[in-house]
Amino acid sequence: MSDDILTQAARALRESTDSERGAANDVPPSARLTRSRVMASLHRSTVKRRTRVAFLLPIAATLATVSAWGAASGKAPELWDAVTRTLGFEKPAEAPAPPVQSLGRSSRALRRPAEAAIEHHAVAEPTSEQPDTPAPAPQPPAVASAALPAPSAPAASASSAVFADPTHDLYRRAHRAHFAEHDAAAALALWDEYLRAAPRGRFAVEARYNRALCLVRLGQRAEARAALDAFAAGKFGGYRQSEAAELLEALGE
Amino acid sequence: MNVAELAPLSHPSLDEVESESDRLVERLRAGEPAAVGEVYDAHHRAVRAFAKRLVGEAAAAEDLVHDVFVALPKVMKNYRGESPLRTFLIAIAINKARHHVRGAARRRRAMTSFAEQPQLGLAGDPEQDARRRELAQALTRALDALTLEHRVAVVLCDVEERSSREAAEVIGVPEATVRTRLFYARKKLRAALEGVGVP
Repeated sequence: MSDDILTQAARALRESTDSERGAANDVPPSARLTRSRVMASLHRSTVKRRTRVAFLLPIAATLATVSAWGAASGKAPELWDAVTRTLGFEKPAEAPAPPVQSLGRSSRALRRPAEAAIEHHAVAEPTSEQPDTPAPAPQPPAVASAALPAPSAPAASASSAVFADPTHDLYRRAHRAHFAEHDAAAALALWDEYLRAAPRGRFAVEARYNRALCLVRLGQRAEARAALDAFAAGKFGGYRQSEAAELLEALGE
Repeated sequence: MNVAELAPLSHPSLDEVESESDRLVERLRAGEPAAVGEVYDAHHRAVRAFAKRLVGEAAAAEDLVHDVFVALPKVMKNYRGESPLRTFLIAIAINKARHHVRGAARRRRAMTSFAEQPQLGLAGDPEQDARRRELAQALTRALDALTLEHRVAVVLCDVEERSSREAAEVIGVPEATVRTRLFYARKKLRAALEGVGVP
């Protein structure tokens, strides 16, 4: 019996809500109103979507253009640095290494004059005459480390990962051999390799100067003199000109 | 005479109907409002009837119908054409129904306390209509005590007289699940209808 009640109740609900009983063209006002609401809602969402596209598209296009320009002109790392600096995302600078002066007098006295000259220059601040020369790296506790331009950009900058340049990796390896491992022979080979790969590269001038220092440290005086002559003669502008002249003088002794 | 020449020109072929339907689906996926309007005109009655049966209130049912057709372009990516578009619309209505059902049930409880029920429109014999109305309202109130899943199963199978297989297709669950839900839902509804003493 209770099944009958349920069946009757279900039929009653079906019949009381059967809106398909009417004629095909007989659309109740509530249905017309709902249709209007649906169309208005769709229109609103379309307008909202178009507005969003109109707002975001120029921003995306600008970003793409700037990225392409930066990658093509090689200024992307600088641009990236500037942006991160502006936004406050820049990495905190590493604590500077102990200065070269901390080395004992006795060990210094035992060195040859040319090396002593290099060490003398190591105390000097790196010059920044080249507009493209990046900020000098913290001085490693090695002889002559601070005398070198030691650009930090290829080594640590996040931008180099984003805008990868294969020659930057070469530079990084040479830099490590020179400053971290203090292996002059390996560094010389890597500086040569870098200069072969990028003779007019962004860090070519620094690489040439560092190569000359390696030659000095390896005792290849003739080649070192030839390499330093170019700097002393101002072939690379004022970059390391005075230091090169002093080193030449020391080599000549 | 060629047989093709005898074919009536006024009726579209099955292929034409299918390609027309495919085009409509593509237009819906592209978010074309006119396509939504066409689908509304074709299916709003079925969707509205289902919404009224499920929600039990005309105004809330209209809101549910609105939500279904507004959401249609966004959810068309889930439509694979395996079931009719009307079935897909009912499935959207089920997914959108939860808060409408909850709201309508809350209002019904409030109305009951004032002994005032929203009237569902009927026409015909007044005495028979009164009894039908009473039964329909009793069932709607009893449905409020069920979970949405059980409620949907009862509306699809008992009120709309769909098979459990059809209901399973609409809800997107196995047929056995629909039967289990129906079993428990009917048990509760019987108890509820007997409890209120519907003649």
